[in-house]
Amino acid sequence: MSYWLQRLGAAIALLLAVSMLTFGAMNLLGDPLFNILGPSAGDTETEEGRQIIQAAKDEYNLDDPLPARYVQWAAGFVTGDFGVQFGLDGEPPVSDLIKERLPRTLTLLIMAQMMAVTLAIPWALFSASRADSAIDKVSTVTSFMFIALPSFALAVIMKYLFVIKFEIFPLIFNAADPLASRLWQMVLPAMVLALPAASVYQRLLRTDLITTLQEDYILTARSKGVSKRNVLFKHALRPSLFSFITIFAINTGALIGGALIVEQVFIIPGLGSAIVEAILREDFPVVLAIVMIVTAGFVVMNVLVDLIYSIIDPRVRAS
Amino acid sequence: MTAIDLSLRVEPGTPLLELENLRTHFKTERGLVRAVDGVTFTLNRGESLGIVGESGSGKTVLSRSIMGLLPSTAVNHGVVKFAGRDILGLSSKEMRHLWGAEMSMVFQNPLNSLNPLMKIGKQITEPLKLHLNMDKIDARDTALQLLRDVRIPEAERRLDQYPHELSGGMRQRVMIAIALACGPTLLFADEPTTALDVTVQAQILDLINEQRRNRNMSVILVTHDLGVVAGHTDQIAVMYGGKLVEYAPTKSLMRSIPRLEDPSHSRLATIPGRPPDLVNPPKGCNFAPRCLYAQPKCHVEEPSLTPAADPAHVYACWYPVGTPEFEKRDAELQETGYMPDDISAVS
Repeated sequence: MSYWLQRLGAAIALLLAVSMLTFGAMNLLGDPLFNILGPSAGDTETEEGRQIIQAAKDEYNLDDPLPARYVQWAAGFVTGDFGVQFGLDGEPPVSDLIKERLPRTLTLLIMAQMMAVTLAIPWALFSASRADSAIDKVSTVTSFMFIALPSFALAVIMKYLFVIKFEIFPLIFNAADPLASRLWQMVLPAMVLALPAASVYQRLLRTDLITTLQEDYILTARSKGVSKRNVLFKHALRPSLFSFITIFAINTGALIGGALIVEQVFIIPGLGSAIVEAILREDFPVVLAIVMIVTAGFVVMNVLVDLIYSIIDPRVRAS
Repeated sequence: MTAIDLSLRVEPGTPLLELENLRTHFKTERGLVRAVDGVTFTLNRGESLGIVGESGSGKTVLSRSIMGLLPSTAVNHGVVKFAGRDILGLSSKEMRHLWGAEMSMVFQNPLNSLNPLMKIGKQITEPLKLHLNMDKIDARDTALQLLRDVRIPEAERRLDQYPHELSGGMRQRVMIAIALACGPTLLFADEPTTALDVTVQAQILDLINEQRRNRNMSVILVTHDLGVVAGHTDQIAVMYGGKLVEYAPTKSLMRSIPRLEDPSHSRLATIPGRPPDLVNPPKGCNFAPRCLYAQPKCHVEEPSLTPAADPAHVYACWYPVGTPEFEKRDAELQETGYMPDDISAVS
């Protein structure tokens, strides 16, 4: 119990640290006033200009010291009020923007991870049970190809092949379509994310499976008369899952980076494109909100991984 | 009752296991490793055979190639007959019906040979469901009885425990329970006590022996510890460099080990050097390069198994104890005050 309390404390500390760093960096490296008003932020000559500047300062509390502004922001953030966008006349509020964009990226990520796992596990079992055979070598080359290929290149190739050449998948994502067709429009982008991820998972899982297959208890299982297939599924797979699960969690972070590119290529207005646009505008309430969401997601994933460890291995549960 | 009798319809007089010139070779980058190089023996139902030899003499490979559990890099030649059937070269798909059901194996290290992520009960019931088509409840009852047979305290509770919750000795008992589950006719015990406490060792060996008698099962006990085979086997086969070099009833071989009556602080005799290279075995007798009593003939010609005074005792040596050549050399060694563990004297 106290273990999970510790984990919770660490998670909160991490979120605080990330938010402080991001908040501080964005305020110190740029001039929020300029980001809000654009060129007229320098208009101190006229009375009208000075009034506009003062109004903006009041609205965004820019005269307050940085820590005070951080506390204000944090207080709003925990209640679900992520602040006002700097650009686009402050509309829509950041929380509305996130509410619109987050589900798309989340769907993309979940879909991609599900595809990657369903592909990686049978693939790894197949190649580990035939380690170093010709077919295993082909699979190794294939997986390295997917890992080495930059995601934008893979995205463009897949888009050309499956959308333009063979016309299997739709060209664009349409936010107005019903849920089923929107999901269908996500399949190809998710695949672009899933293939390299699956390759990484497969490499790890294959190596761990090969190690596990050398274990004495695998020989015990064989000497009991368990079939090769059941030795793989019932005896070898579970003890081999640990590094796979660890990488699965860490890779979720990397996939968010990948989603950014995939969303651009497939024109899906998700969090990835939102953060790119926001960074270009130095619209830091948006950047901050997205950074926080990604961090929180990462923390949750890692706690989940710990939970899964203890489900898989009774020895972890005991300690 | 647990002892489900699956006894093969062995014709009276047919030995349970017959080996004829069994050779197991591994293809490696260095060349062909002759891990087992021409082993012949027979074993009757209910008998126990101890296979002894130093590390690397091929005893573990021998037991695994009889069982067919070696990786595909192993190439077998010769004949292995189990209950009259030729089983060498059967695919693992065919062998699977014998594994666990007719022949099973207890491994060296009980800490590694149980699946750490599977409950004890499940590991015992697995072969029961597989070979005897038991349902969940029957299998669990049988598993419980098996745990009691191997004298595990609080057997009921153990079924739902994981291996890490048990001591080493208990885990080896569980291994034995698994191996005995389907009432096999042949049990291989590959150094079953090496990883265990000395006090536990005797218990485990007694347990194996007791189960052998109760179930009229044959046991092949592989070990490097002569003390282990002494009280627990009928026959002993000594392996060296992949070959059987001596085969005898246990009683007659046991005279050659140190005893308590020896004066204390007497130096234990050791054999200098290392086991032979199984890729390029020495010419003549495999043991000649390390043998203090080797004669010119030993380096040229390989001795075959010859019967001793007692015909049940066979050995492969040109000049065994008692021959004039041996006695002459022995006298020389006494004179020079040669200490057997002084390697430089040999090379």
